[in-house]
Amino acid sequence: MKIAGLQRAGLTALGAVAAVLFAFAVSSIAIVAAGASPITALQAMFDFGDVTNAVVNNITTILNRATPLFIAGLAVAIGFRMNLFNIGVEGQYRIAALVAAFVGGQLALPAPLHLTVIIVVAMVAGGLYALIPALLKVYRGVNEVIATIMLNFIAISMAAYLVRGPFAGEREEGVLTTSTPPIPESGMFPNVNWLFTMFGLPAPRGAGLWGFLIVAAVVGVVIWVVLERTRFGFEVKASGLNGTAALASGVNPRTMIISAMVLSGAVAGLIGLPEILGRTGSYGTSFTPGLGFLGIAVALLGRNKPGGIALAALLFGFLDRATTPLQFADIPPSVVSIIQGAIVLMVVIANEVTRRFALRQEERRAAGHASAPAPAGASA
Amino acid sequence: MGGVTLLRNKFGKLAISTLAGAMLMAAAACGGSSDSGSSTASPGASGEASQSGSLKVGLAFDVGGRGDKSFNDSAYAGLERAQKELGAEIRDLSPAGDGSNRGELLRQLADAGYNPIVAVGFAYAADVEKVAKEYTDVQFAIVDSASNGPNVTGLLFAEQQGSYLAGVAAALKSKTGHLGFVGGVESDLIKKFEAGFLAGAKATKPDIKIDSKYLTPDGDFSGFKAPDKGKIAAEKMFQDGADIVYHAAGDSGQGVFQAAAAAGEGKWAIGVDADQALTVKDQALSKVIMTSMLKRVDNAVFEYIKAFQGGAKGGSDVVYDLKTEGVGLATTGDHISDIQDKLDEAKQKIISGEITVPDKP
Amino acid sequence: MSTSSDTLSTAPPAVALEGITKRFPGVVANHDIRITVAPGTVHAIVGENGAGKSTLMKILYGMQRPDEGTIRVNGRQVSFKTPSDAIAAGIGMVHQHFMLADNLTVLENIVLGAEPKKAGRLDTGAARARIRQLAEAHGLRVDPDRLVEDLGVGERQRVEILKVLYRGARILILDEPTAVLVPQEVEELFDNLRELKAEGLTVIFISHKLDEVLDIADAITVIRRGTTVASVLPRDVTSRELAELMVGSELPTPETRESTVTDRVVLDVRGLRVTEGDRVVLDDVSFPVHAGEVVGVAGVEGNGQTELIEAIMGLHPLAAGAIELGGEDITAWSTRRRRESGIAYIPEDRHREGLLLEASLWENRVLGHQTRPPARAGIWINRAAARKDTERIVRAYDVRTPGVDTLALALSGGNQQKLIVGREMSGDPKALIAAHPTRGVDVGAQAAIWDHLRDARASGLAVLLISADLDELIGLSDTLYVIYRGRFVARLDPGRVTPEKLGGYMTGAIAEDQA
Repeated sequence: MKIAGLQRAGLTALGAVAAVLFAFAVSSIAIVAAGASPITALQAMFDFGDVTNAVVNNITTILNRATPLFIAGLAVAIGFRMNLFNIGVEGQYRIAALVAAFVGGQLALPAPLHLTVIIVVAMVAGGLYALIPALLKVYRGVNEVIATIMLNFIAISMAAYLVRGPFAGEREEGVLTTSTPPIPESGMFPNVNWLFTMFGLPAPRGAGLWGFLIVAAVVGVVIWVVLERTRFGFEVKASGLNGTAALASGVNPRTMIISAMVLSGAVAGLIGLPEILGRTGSYGTSFTPGLGFLGIAVALLGRNKPGGIALAALLFGFLDRATTPLQFADIPPSVVSIIQGAIVLMVVIANEVTRRFALRQEERRAAGHASAPAPAGASA
Repeated sequence: MGGVTLLRNKFGKLAISTLAGAMLMAAAACGGSSDSGSSTASPGASGEASQSGSLKVGLAFDVGGRGDKSFNDSAYAGLERAQKELGAEIRDLSPAGDGSNRGELLRQLADAGYNPIVAVGFAYAADVEKVAKEYTDVQFAIVDSASNGPNVTGLLFAEQQGSYLAGVAAALKSKTGHLGFVGGVESDLIKKFEAGFLAGAKATKPDIKIDSKYLTPDGDFSGFKAPDKGKIAAEKMFQDGADIVYHAAGDSGQGVFQAAAAAGEGKWAIGVDADQALTVKDQALSKVIMTSMLKRVDNAVFEYIKAFQGGAKGGSDVVYDLKTEGVGLATTGDHISDIQDKLDEAKQKIISGEITVPDKP
Repeated sequence: MSTSSDTLSTAPPAVALEGITKRFPGVVANHDIRITVAPGTVHAIVGENGAGKSTLMKILYGMQRPDEGTIRVNGRQVSFKTPSDAIAAGIGMVHQHFMLADNLTVLENIVLGAEPKKAGRLDTGAARARIRQLAEAHGLRVDPDRLVEDLGVGERQRVEILKVLYRGARILILDEPTAVLVPQEVEELFDNLRELKAEGLTVIFISHKLDEVLDIADAITVIRRGTTVASVLPRDVTSRELAELMVGSELPTPETRESTVTDRVVLDVRGLRVTEGDRVVLDDVSFPVHAGEVVGVAGVEGNGQTELIEAIMGLHPLAAGAIELGGEDITAWSTRRRRESGIAYIPEDRHREGLLLEASLWENRVLGHQTRPPARAGIWINRAAARKDTERIVRAYDVRTPGVDTLALALSGGNQQKLIVGREMSGDPKALIAAHPTRGVDVGAQAAIWDHLRDARASGLAVLLISADLDELIGLSDTLYVIYRGRFVARLDPGRVTPEKLGGYMTGAIAEDQA
C-alpha cells in the first residue's frame, strides 16, 4: 500500500543525482574558463588524501562542518513546514550562542551538568528570541519575515556589542579579537574520536570530531518524530499545506505560530554550540556567522525533512571541504564558489522538477484507477 | 486536473527566490575574482610535501581578502617578492565564505609541508594559536595580531602614526575645514586609524570638523566588502560639506572613491594600506585619491620570510611604524608635494617621541 | 440509441472532431471522440465529471494536442499549438470560473490583452464603440464603464462572453455556464445564446444539468468514460434517458421519503448577528435543527451563507446571538471543541477548507479528527488506525483511488468529496453542517452522497444544508429557509415549493415572508 510513497522517494533520489551530475557539467564551464581542468577539479574534490590520517582528517572536516548546518536546516525547516518563514534563525543562534557561552564561562559545575546547563540556556535564549516575532505576528499581524530580518540586525549588533563590552573576557596583549571568558573543561563537549579509533583508524588532528555530532543526531531524530509522528507535527504540516483547512479543522493558528516559532528558535539556539563546545570554548569576534542563512538553503535542499536535511548538510560539508584542495589544484577560490552555487541551484531545480513530476504521475495513476471499473464489493 | 496550478504555493515561490539569490551570489563571486587569478610557483605540486629543504611559504587570507587592491593584495605582493627574490615556492589559500575553516587552511598548509605560514588578518589569532601548538616545528606569522606562541611571530603596524600624517595632510589641504572618516568595521584595529587621523587633523587645525562613520559593528566583517555602503556613507559626508574623506574599510573603500569622483571637483579621498592611486585601475577613481596611508604589509611579509630563512624564530612581535617605514603616505599624483615639509616635520616629531599618537579615539 | 444528426445545411460543420484520442501515461483520457457541430446551432456536450469533457475542451481550445484524430473548423483541418491559434481560428472559451479583474471596468476587462492602440495609447473611444455595437447586436446588456466588482454573476458572465466576441470568436465554448446562476439568470443567458445563434454563431455548451441542456441545445453529444457514446436530438430524449446515457446505469433522485424529524433540538441558533467592519452581513438569524431533520438554506451566493457556516463552526466571531449544541451553550467555544463535541463540517470549498491536497488520503482522514480516536493516541497520531479507517471510508463511500497513500490532489472532485463526506460522518457526529455537498460532483457520486445524508438523517443526525442546487435543497430538506441579504426572509415547505418560487425569494423578487 505504500508504493506511492516509495516511488516518490525514489524519484527524489534520482533527481538529486541528476542535479549533481548536471551541476558538475555546468561547473566545468566555469573551471575551463578559469583556465583549469575540470578533471583535476573533480579529482581534487574527491581526493581525501593518500594516507588514512588524511582521510580521517577530511571526513572530520566534513562532519564538523555539516553538524551546525544540519541543526540550522532543522531549525529553519520547522518554520517552513508551516509556511512560517523564520529568517531569524541567524539572529537567534548568535544571541543564543553568546549567552550560552557566557553563562558557561561563569559556572563551575560537574561536567554532565555543566554541559546540560549550557545546552538548555542556548535553547531557552534562542526560543525566547524567536518568541518576539511570533508574538508580533500573532497579536499585531507583523509579517514574520520583516520582523525576523529586523531582529537579525538587532541580534548581530547586540552580540557584537556584548562580546566586546559586558560579556568580554580577558584579552591578551596585542590581540584584536575579543571573546567571552573561556568555558572550563567541564563545560566542553568531549570529542567523539572513538568513532574512528574503534575501527582501528587514527584519531583526527586538531580538536577532533566534535562531540556535538551526537546531540545533533539526537535532535534530528527527535524533530523527525515530532514532525512526522505526533499530533503537533500533523498540525504543523496541515497549517503549512493549507492554513484555512487547518483552521476549519480546529487548529488554532496562534498556538501553532507561537509553538512552531519557539521550537524553531530553540533548535536554532544549538547551531553555534558544536563550534563553541567542540573547538573555541568561547563566543568570540571571529565566531562563524551566516549559519542561519545557510540553514535556509540546507532546509530547501533537504525539502524540510530531517533525512533530506542531513544529506544536504553533508553535501555542504563536502563542498566546503573541497575549497582547500581545489585551491591546491590551482582552481581560484571564486570558481569554487561558482561550483558550490551551481550544485545548490541544480539540486533546488531538480527538487522542484521531480516533485511536480511525481505529483503528475500520481494524478495519472489515480485517474487510471478512477476510469477503471469500480472494485468489486464497493457499494454506494 | 488543475492540480499543477494548486502547487504554486508560497514554498515554490521561496524556492525560486532562493535560486535567484544563489545566482546573484555566484555572479558576485565571479565579478570579484575577475582580476585575481590564482598563481603558484609550481602547478601540480599539490599535496606532496617535498622535504627537499627548499623554501615553501604558505599564506592564508581572511574572508574576502584576496583581490581587495589593498591590505590583502599587499600581503600577496610581499609573498610574490619572496618568490622572486628568495626563490620560494608559494601557495595562498582563501577560506570558505564564512571563515569557518580558517584553522583548516593552516593545517592543510602545514600538512603539505609549507613552512613558514603567514596568516593575514587578526581574525586568525585563535586559530594560529591552536594550530601552532599542533605543529610546533612549523613557524607561523600573523598580520595585525600579537604573537601567541613560541613559534608565532606577530606582525603589527602603528596605523595610528600613518593615519596621523593622513590627518595632517587632509587638514592642510581641506578648503571647507570639514573632513570625513569611513571605517569598515568598528573594531579596535580600525579605531586606531580613526584615532590617528583625528589627532593629526586636530593638531593641525583645532577647529576642524570631522564626520566618522563605521559601516558595520564589530564582529560583522561584511563592512570590509560593502562598496555600496561605503559609497552611501561618503556621499553623505560630501553632501554635508566635507571635501576629503579617509577610509579604512578594505574593499568598501571603492565606494568611497566612487562617491568622491561623483561629488565633483575639489573633493578628495584618501586611500589605505596600499598605494591605491596605483592599485585602483579605474582612471576616474584613481585621480581623486589624494594620497594613501601605506601599511607596508608587503614589506612585513617579505622581511618575515627573509628573517625565517636567516633562522629567526617566533615568539615575539615586530612592529612596523614610521621609523621602520612600515607605515607612511603615498605620493603618487603629487597632490601632497606642496605640504611635504610639514608632513616631514610631523613625522620627525612622532619618530623622536615628541608626539605620541593615541591608538583609541 | 445513437441517432445521426439530421442537419439540412450544406455548409461544412463549424467543428468536426474525428477520432480524437489523448493518452496520458497509463490512462486514456479521450478515446475516438467523434463530434460534428453544425454552424449556427447550440451543441451540448454532456457527461459526468471525469468523463473527459475537460480534456476534450482543452484539445479544442489548443491547450493540449491530441495524440490521434483530426479537428476541422469550418471544413478546414487545423492543428492548434496554443489557445492563440484557436482564437485566430475563431474559437472562444468562456470558462466556468470567470477570469476577470475585479478592480477594472468592464471595458478594460474586455480589451485586456487586445487593446486597440492609437499613437501608443489605449483608444477607449474606439473600444467603447465596438463593445456597444457587439452588445447591441447580441443583446448582451452591460455598461462598459462599470467596475466588474460591482457586477452580479449574470452580468459578469455576459462580460466574459463579450470578451470572447471582442476577439472575433464565431464559435463559443461555454464550460458549465449555468453552475453559478439562479433560474432567472439562466433564462437570460439562454436568451443571449439564442440571439448569438440567430446571428449565425455556433455555441458549444458543456453541462451536466440535463433539463437546461434539453431546453437550449439543438443537438446533444454524450460522453462517458472518455468516449462519445451517443449523439441525440433533444426532442428524441427525456432528461432521464439522457442521464442514463451519461451514467450508464439507473438514476438517483434526491427526494427523501417519510419524515424522520424528532422534537429533540440538537443545534439551536438564536439571534445570530455577524458584522464585517461596519457592514452587517448576517442579522437576526434564528432556527433550530432537530435530530433527524435536514434544514435547508437557499440563497444566491454571497447573501450571508458563508458567514452563517463560519459562525456556527467558530471561525467567525459573533456580534450578537448564541449557539447551542444539545442544550449546551457553545458560543464561546473554539472550533476544535465544537468539532470534538460532535459538529461535522462539509465545507463549501473543499480545496480551500476541506483538504490537504498535497497530503495522502489517510492524512486527510486525520484532518479535523486529529484530537479524536482512531487518529489520535496520546500525543501521537495513530497512523495504522488512521490508515485502516481510511480504507473503510474508501470502501464504504466508493472513493476511487489506488490506495490510501495516494495524494488527495490526484483524485477527481467527486472522489475527493466522497472522502470528505466519509470523514465527516466518522466518529458519530451530532450535527452536520453541509455546504454544497455535491457541488462539482458527478451524478454517480452525487447519488451516493445523497444516500449517505439520508441514512445519517434517518439515524438521528441534525443536518444544516446549504446549497445552490435547488433540486437538492427541495429534495433533501425537511425545512427550508431562504436567506437574502443576511436575513432569513422565508420559511418554506419543501414539499410544496417550486424552484421558480424559490428563485423569486432568493433574488428578492418576492419580498413577503409567506411562511
